[in-house]
Amino acid sequence: MEEAPEAPVSDPVPALIPTPTPCPASNIPSRSLLEWRKRVKSEYMRLRQLKRFKNAEEVKALFMSNRQKIEERTNLLNEEWSKLRIQSVPLSTPGGALPGKKLCMVEFGFPAFKAQAVAMRPLTTVAGIPFMYSWSPLQQNFMVEDETFLHNIPYMGDEVLEQDEAFLEELIDNYDGVHGDREGGFINDEVFKELVEALSQYSDQEEEEEEEAAEEKGGKEEEEKGVRKSAGEGTEEAKVGPTAFFRRKRRSVIEVRDLAAKKKIPHDKIFTAIASMFPYKGTTEELKEKYKDLLEPPSPVKLPPLCTPNIDGPFAKSVQREQSLHSFHTLFCRRCFKYDCFLHPFHATPNVYKRKSKEIRMETEPCGPDCFLLQKGAKEFADQEMLRSQRPRRRRRQPRPPSSSCPGPSGTTEEAKEVDSDHETTSSSESNSRCQTPTKLCPGEEHGEQVGPPVQWSGAEESLFRVLHGTYYNNFCSIARLISTKTCKQVYEFAVKEVLIHRVPLEDGGSAPQKKKRKHRLWAKIQLKKDNSSNQVYNYQPCDHPDQPCDSSCPCVMTQNFCEKFCQCEHECQNRFPGCRCKTQCNTKQCPCYLAVRECDPDLCMTCGAADHWDSKVVSCKNCSIQRGLKKHLLLAPSNVAGWGTFIKESVQKNELISEYCGELISQDEADRRGRIYDKYMSSFLFNLNNDFVVDATRKGNKIRFANHSVNPNCYAKVVMVNGDHRIGIFAKRAILQGEELFFDYRYSQDDALKYVGIEREVDMA
Amino acid sequence: MHHLQHSGEVMSGTSCKANGAVYPASTTVMTTVKKPKMEQIQADHELFLQAFEKPTQIYRFLRTRNLIAPIFLHRTLTFMTHRNTRTNAKRKTFKVDDMLLRVEKMKGEQESHSLSSHLQLTFTGFFHKDEKPSQNSENEQSSVSLEVLLVKVCHKKRKDVSCPVKQVPTGKKQVPLNPDCSNQTKPGSLPSLLVSSNEFEPSNSHMVKSYSLLFRVLRTGRRDMNGLVNGEANENIDVTEVPSRKKRSSAHREDGETTETFVAQMTVFDKNRRLQLLDGEYEVSMQGMEDCPVSKKRATWETILDGKRLPPFETFSQGPTLQFTLRWTGDASDKSTAPVAKPLATRNSDGSSPVESRPSTLKSAPLSVKASVSTDIQMKREQILCEPRQKLRIFYQFLYNNNTRQQTEARDDLHCPWCTLNCRKLYSLLKHLKQSHSRFIFNYVPHPKGARIDVSINECYDGSYVGNPQDIHSQPGFAFSRNGPVKRTAVTHVLVCRPKRTKPSLSEFLESEDGELEQQRTYVSGHNRLYFHSDSCMPLRPQEMDVDSEDERDPEWLREKTATQLDEFTDVNEGEKEVMKLWNLHVMKHGFIADNQMNQASMQFVEKCGAYIARRNLCRNFLLHLVSMHDFNLVSVATIDRAMSRLRHIQEELPDAGADDQADRALMEGACNGTAIACSSGGGGGTKHGKRTKSSVTD
Repeated sequence: MEEAPEAPVSDPVPALIPTPTPCPASNIPSRSLLEWRKRVKSEYMRLRQLKRFKNAEEVKALFMSNRQKIEERTNLLNEEWSKLRIQSVPLSTPGGALPGKKLCMVEFGFPAFKAQAVAMRPLTTVAGIPFMYSWSPLQQNFMVEDETFLHNIPYMGDEVLEQDEAFLEELIDNYDGVHGDREGGFINDEVFKELVEALSQYSDQEEEEEEEAAEEKGGKEEEEKGVRKSAGEGTEEAKVGPTAFFRRKRRSVIEVRDLAAKKKIPHDKIFTAIASMFPYKGTTEELKEKYKDLLEPPSPVKLPPLCTPNIDGPFAKSVQREQSLHSFHTLFCRRCFKYDCFLHPFHATPNVYKRKSKEIRMETEPCGPDCFLLQKGAKEFADQEMLRSQRPRRRRRQPRPPSSSCPGPSGTTEEAKEVDSDHETTSSSESNSRCQTPTKLCPGEEHGEQVGPPVQWSGAEESLFRVLHGTYYNNFCSIARLISTKTCKQVYEFAVKEVLIHRVPLEDGGSAPQKKKRKHRLWAKIQLKKDNSSNQVYNYQPCDHPDQPCDSSCPCVMTQNFCEKFCQCEHECQNRFPGCRCKTQCNTKQCPCYLAVRECDPDLCMTCGAADHWDSKVVSCKNCSIQRGLKKHLLLAPSNVAGWGTFIKESVQKNELISEYCGELISQDEADRRGRIYDKYMSSFLFNLNNDFVVDATRKGNKIRFANHSVNPNCYAKVVMVNGDHRIGIFAKRAILQGEELFFDYRYSQDDALKYVGIEREVDMA
Repeated sequence: MHHLQHSGEVMSGTSCKANGAVYPASTTVMTTVKKPKMEQIQADHELFLQAFEKPTQIYRFLRTRNLIAPIFLHRTLTFMTHRNTRTNAKRKTFKVDDMLLRVEKMKGEQESHSLSSHLQLTFTGFFHKDEKPSQNSENEQSSVSLEVLLVKVCHKKRKDVSCPVKQVPTGKKQVPLNPDCSNQTKPGSLPSLLVSSNEFEPSNSHMVKSYSLLFRVLRTGRRDMNGLVNGEANENIDVTEVPSRKKRSSAHREDGETTETFVAQMTVFDKNRRLQLLDGEYEVSMQGMEDCPVSKKRATWETILDGKRLPPFETFSQGPTLQFTLRWTGDASDKSTAPVAKPLATRNSDGSSPVESRPSTLKSAPLSVKASVSTDIQMKREQILCEPRQKLRIFYQFLYNNNTRQQTEARDDLHCPWCTLNCRKLYSLLKHLKQSHSRFIFNYVPHPKGARIDVSINECYDGSYVGNPQDIHSQPGFAFSRNGPVKRTAVTHVLVCRPKRTKPSLSEFLESEDGELEQQRTYVSGHNRLYFHSDSCMPLRPQEMDVDSEDERDPEWLREKTATQLDEFTDVNEGEKEVMKLWNLHVMKHGFIADNQMNQASMQFVEKCGAYIARRNLCRNFLLHLVSMHDFNLVSVATIDRAMSRLRHIQEELPDAGADDQADRALMEGACNGTAIACSSGGGGGTKHGKRTKSSVTD
């Protein structure tokens, strides 16, 4: 779907109008240029045609695969149903026709054909249901980026648009453009490459006629290779469009020296012709450079700079700990426990500084008869290192070792060599260290034990050691057990080498944390927040300001949020919410969490039950329903009021959670833009969350989205801070019986929501 | 007059035709206000008939449906408890062993009595309600002559064309015609016949195949053709009687003098010499002799009335019947110790199956058994009833536009006019009418001779559906097409265990002054609607009601989304991607919310995905994941150790260990890396032209 829409064929035509070629030597090959331009045009058309055909094929294939999926699913369902004892839908048998059945006659004008009649089988009427736009089910909010491009111009029936033409113009003005506008008539990289390759065949022929046949032959072969490769890449490259930025950035890093040398670049004439056809794509030289870039083939060893090779793969390299863990560290969302979560766009990297120190303990018992601890001096080494590594290490954002973070001009092949040389250097340093090592290893003993062939460490093993060393320090037995391919003795020996080469720069992590006594001003603080921020609720973002306490400059303090467990500040931070120590249900203002409109944090509130019984639906704490998803079974049926409605299956008590109102989390700006369209549709699922975000259940949501508005509702909405996220809970305003339709007052906060709720306005007017 | 009569015909064609069958003892009365403009009256009357016709037809249909496929049993309703003939008194003393004893005892008795006993028939009366029991009926003949013949059907002999039949007359009796049920207390005064059991012994000449009793009733009497009756009517109403339907039994009519013959036959012993007639009260439907075509049709158990199919017992409210008590006595005067037949069916039990299947005899007649026991109980109960056991008259007054249009009288008949349900009590009748026929409004007005019920159309009848919502949406007309029991949507619920009920009182049916509208409205809470799947808008079927299929934490699209989203990264290698995807799916499935769940979650992850991780050769990536989790302070070192050792364990237990595994792994590695490249160049648009990079996530 991201496929670049095809350019209208007519688009390149204006370019055909001879533009004054910038080339000063244009007078010389005027004939051949014209010839070339003709070729360019015909080839371009051919390629476009080909591409269109391919697209159509792809769509067809996709359609077929979808059909198949549906069929499979249907079969599965049918099978399931046949097992259940259910009332089957009776099929009217065509044979057992009633005598009074109508016949459907087809008569022909020609007497030669007999009139054909077939019994009419009218379908029974099925009761109609309200209108519904399709939507995707969701049980948690889903953050989406602003759409600066309008994806489609909404259709609301001809009447609406006729009435209000200005609306559409205004709407489009709100966006940077409409999707697909810009891409028309544009020759993308893929087409460009193919075009050049197709044209180069002409040039081959020409040049063969003229001169230097031998040299060109080699080039031609190369070209053909290129063609094959590009065919594989084909469609995917079309997607590149919007991410051109990354690509450019990447390309400046990766040079193609070796390839440039090998590859024969087609004749300049081709580029000149293309440049004259598509003047906005750049000059001849630029096009040539671009083509060179595009020629660079994908290679198995060549990976993007931040990408470390698969540690389980055959190309695993020996890299630093940070590098091995880089993907895991950067993509992991500490709040959702997921990689690249749907809710939090920015993930903080781990705070190594805060490691629980109690876990670092030294193994004192040898793990076996061959344990390294039995070696002379090993224990001392381990202990000594232990002390050192126990010192607080500087946390995160360590500059990557130059070898890995910026490979610079050196290609991967070179990097591989580098690793080799790394080995050499280690071995050489090892030999050096034998006499100089501070660990006072007796060289004689070492030699005595290393009689056998020197142990080979693969890149993966080396990387793994570094990773584990950062966690286990000198517990070499444990490390060896985890690596599993090396004994602890080998690990120990490797560690000794490593110490000399990659000595972790020791930094003192600033002054020791001052332990201020926490003043119990919590209540006052909550109250203060409540008073101040009647309408001003800001989104929480974990604060991260190293070496600085959470004072007035801290974002949490500024937005009047508490610091959460996700903040990088100290545990003793003044602004942290301490959780409750309730022993009851946390459903009164006696509970500080409840008072602060927060759900109990299972990592802070250890007494109320919020941290117990994970599998059970019965929790003593009544203030953790949203996070646990303790929603009620809702049902969908045509509403008694308007459109669809949400009904409850079982009766609920007052103040029980009914459901979370889920949807897409969008910015206020985006909500403004979308709201304009929704207002026109007279139906809106927008729900103000806080000053920064709005929940929009239009495209994604859950069944509560169908609950209608009422001024005398049976439910109420409440925005609750749940483990750092604002979430909307829909609660029972009174006891609700089973089968009741659910309503809530859309204006949960008089000022904000009203603006976005179209239906509400409609109701008010009526 | 002519006009009126004509419209009366129309009326009986509509509302009364529907309940005519129900209404043997009813007086059909048409009333009109005297007005000169006959056309207007007639038009008005048409409207009245139309208004009442539709609901009547509906209730008529529902009645039949309830007979065939009952939704509930009337006897379970609190106001119908007297219809329940069982008592639980014996339950306390019940022992399982008694069952055997009882059966054995019964068997012995049956054998013994079959030899030495008389068949005693005591005739209660001959009932023929074809015409109204008019007041001047006393002047007429009050008895009919009954002849009972024992028919012996013998085995065919070689020469015989058909089975030889012997008829042995056993006696003639005068049997009261239409006796009053209330004075039937003196059994001695009733005519009775004795048939010696010797008659049932095999005779000499022929081997008797079966024995049956043939009842022949001869009736002679005058008849008032017009049957004009001055019924109870308001002073301002003209009373006209219209013959409600044609006589069905054949009658020789000679100047009002008629002689009719009715016959019925019952098998005593069938051809297997099984006794068919046990002790009990019987009511036999009689057939007019000349009514040949009908009787042919009656050879089956179907009953056809006016071209409509009726349940078998319909005939009992229709045609002439003969009631008698049958006893097998050892001694002519002795009280019977013979087994008592079970009450298989009472006169009004709807929809019960035929008592027995009978071999086709000459003329078979439907038959029902009224057990004497049940009648006894009934009698006892009825004595308790508050209502005096007297001739209770009920006047149904049909109102339209606040004018009385028609008055119908029922004498001592507490059947519901719409569904023929015998309510037996006025209170029950009224309650039933209110509850089951809410398209009408019924108001009870006390009347010196009984009760008056004002019937009018319920204008506020709420057509809202209170039944199974599933039935609305399923194809119309297929309400009975289900085979066997199916799960239904629970619409009704038992809410109270022992509710406090107000004492039944007729006053609750009196017309109330206020809040009448509220009363008429049936308010039902609960799931009285059809629900739909939120994803497909397909109706939710009852068996899908209990599972919330659309509320999963990880819907399919989200699972796919997280995978594609990770695939888009160009600078994350395929091993990392795979572990991340696995972990994400794991977290999404279980919805972890707390840091302190992570140790447990990691172990769960190993248990669930360990085999896959080992097979896909992702162990080191998994270790990296664990270490990363540790760096985030989410898992302890101990968890890493435990998880990894568990993984190694799983790895060792993999079935294809050994050399095969090695090759497999090598292949996998190659494939893994190969596909990763292909995939990243395929999915993300080339290794270098990626969609997203992780650096863009952090910055």
